Amino acid sequence: MQLINDDNEMKKTVNKANLKAALTLATTALLGSVQVAAATTSVEPTEDSWSFDSAFLYYSEANRVSAAEAVFNANKIYSDDSILNVKLTIDALTGASANGAVAQPKVQTFTRPSGKGDYDIKPGDTPLDDTFHDTRVQLNGQWTQALAQNYTGSAGGHISKEYDYLSLGVNGNIAYDFNKKNSIASFGLSHFQDTFTPEGGLPKPFASMTAAYHDDGDESSHDATRMGSDDDKTTTDIMVGFTQVINRNMVTQLNYSYSVVDGYLTDPFKILSLLDSNGIAQDYLYENRPDKRTKQSVFAQTKYHFDETILDVSYRYMWDDWEIDSHTVDTRFYIPLGNGSYLEPHLRFYQQAAAEFYQPFLMQGDALPEFASADYRIGEMTAYTVGLKYGMKLADGNDLSFRLEYYRQDPKSAGQKSPGVLANMEIYERIDAIIAQVSYSF
Amino acid sequence: MSKRRKIITTEREDGYCIEFDAMASPCEVIIETSDRALANFVGKAISTEVWRIEDKYSRYNRQSLCSQINQSQGNPLAIDDETFALLNFADTCYQLSDGVFDITSGVLRKVWTFDCSSNLPSPLAVANVMKNVGWHKVKYNQTQIILPADMEIDLGGIGKEYAVDRAILLITSLTQQPVLVNLGGDLATNSPRKNGQPWQVGVEHPGFVNKKKMVVSLFKGALATSGDAKRFLLKNDHRYSHILNAKTGWPIENAPRSVTVSAPQCIQAGILATLSQMQGEHAETFLEEQEIKHWAIR
Repeated sequence: MQLINDDNEMKKTVNKANLKAALTLATTALLGSVQVAAATTSVEPTEDSWSFDSAFLYYSEANRVSAAEAVFNANKIYSDDSILNVKLTIDALTGASANGAVAQPKVQTFTRPSGKGDYDIKPGDTPLDDTFHDTRVQLNGQWTQALAQNYTGSAGGHISKEYDYLSLGVNGNIAYDFNKKNSIASFGLSHFQDTFTPEGGLPKPFASMTAAYHDDGDESSHDATRMGSDDDKTTTDIMVGFTQVINRNMVTQLNYSYSVVDGYLTDPFKILSLLDSNGIAQDYLYENRPDKRTKQSVFAQTKYHFDETILDVSYRYMWDDWEIDSHTVDTRFYIPLGNGSYLEPHLRFYQQAAAEFYQPFLMQGDALPEFASADYRIGEMTAYTVGLKYGMKLADGNDLSFRLEYYRQDPKSAGQKSPGVLANMEIYERIDAIIAQVSYSF
Repeated sequence: MSKRRKIITTEREDGYCIEFDAMASPCEVIIETSDRALANFVGKAISTEVWRIEDKYSRYNRQSLCSQINQSQGNPLAIDDETFALLNFADTCYQLSDGVFDITSGVLRKVWTFDCSSNLPSPLAVANVMKNVGWHKVKYNQTQIILPADMEIDLGGIGKEYAVDRAILLITSLTQQPVLVNLGGDLATNSPRKNGQPWQVGVEHPGFVNKKKMVVSLFKGALATSGDAKRFLLKNDHRYSHILNAKTGWPIENAPRSVTVSAPQCIQAGILATLSQMQGEHAETFLEEQEIKHWAIR
């Protein structure tokens, strides 16, 4: 028998420059060569490899919309560090939402979006459409894995369904780490395809709101204001990011994103009051928005780890070709209390400029603009969030947390003069909301 | 021996700690789980595996395969796949170190006793023992080994680290809960802790009396330490470390007293720590050039 010695192939010559590589190879050969002789032959792992998070969130605006949301998140990390993430979100929205018309000194009657039936608004009240209720089911899946040394790739899909809305999306992201993983550059793309089938069809731009029809009534006047039953829009996002570990305590992230939204961007439920020179509503016209919006944003975030606490500060500046520029400053402060419990105060400030075509109402006698909307969400506003989160570790090692936040939104005048009776009306009504959330990880 | 072989399970804030003695060291397994039965089960499996390796490769145990090889008097002795793999690994280390690391160098203990004294052996005595040192004189293949008479092999330099890595492999087949295995300071973990924070590991520096434990953060991977501050010889202000150069039979000069290295696997960390000490005064430079994370004490 030929025994093996240092002159034959078993004893390779090793290039010292590749000491680490040679050792890795030898280690792999050693540890991979022999089956693990488990002391016990049959093993029943009592805990599986998935980890789960669940959260229940309740959002309530005073006198307006309230939303309940349940999130179920599942994560599986494979032995090669690949990650599968599946997230299911169900939310239910009920309550009343501003329809865009302004308050008046007398009772106002509005036709519901379906054209069938109407609702009255008391003098002095901001007109709210109380037919607002919807349930949305959203499913996201994301797969993340190493592609090559220093490269991590991620791809995902999204589907979201509401009664009158369907959204489908795909995304892909690639990250490159260098400088001993202290720097990460990433590039991402996503694309969404949404289809909107609103109750009552899509109103024609600036069509006059017709009187409601009732059970055997004539639908033809309603139908005359409609231009179809559904429409769609696409959203394409490009994102580049850079993350840098500054030192042991500090990590910073910078992102830039460019987003193009194309298609039906009008809100078919929103109207504008057409006022005479005394400020009295003569008509209600359906709004009309451009069919394209290009958004850009820069985002900077820094996390600083003090001896025990962690400060997380971020700033986002967003601008678009609708001239809605916004600033967001968000701050969280993590304070451990021992035994795995913690407190986390949260402060957020948001400021937004009005869209170029935003106007709180239209005036009789003025030429009709190409685009107009009285939707307060694209008007000038500031908003604050103040909140506190408390998290704790349960006896079984699982995490439970509670969050309570107060949100306040102050819409502001974009400079329009309030004619006649409107001087005594509240056009820019403040919104107060409470957000409560319970999360459980297991 | 059987009296020593028991495991003690204690509850911690974040899970369980299983302690046992093996390979002349205190050993612990920390597992982040609320399931005591799982913790016990994993602890038992790991201690059984570590004791199995100890029984098979300890040169102190006369029944061990290692002792059988050392007593084979130049006759071929059958080996299994695991032993073949270990010998291959030792062979790579021998090649990488140009023969400075050599598992046949254990016989040098006959002339070198590192007791902090000034008792250096005579060059002649060293040269005599060196006749029985030299990995290149050993013949082996997948099924057998032929060790010349009067030579010995000693897997003590890699055995404990190997046991750590085997324990981690074993854990992977048992649970996905975060586990840290620490066999007398050579340690590894299968995953970061559940809170996303690194494991905080106190690294002992054997022999340093007044030295506080050094605390090292470890997300994943392994740590191994080489060095012993109490084992040296001192003559004419010249400090001889207990790390011997198997090529000359003499101690490496100006080596750090202790080197701790981090690597994906414990056996890699261990051999890198040892190889770095064999570079003497260039130990740190050696590790830096290889971009290996380390902590050295001189």
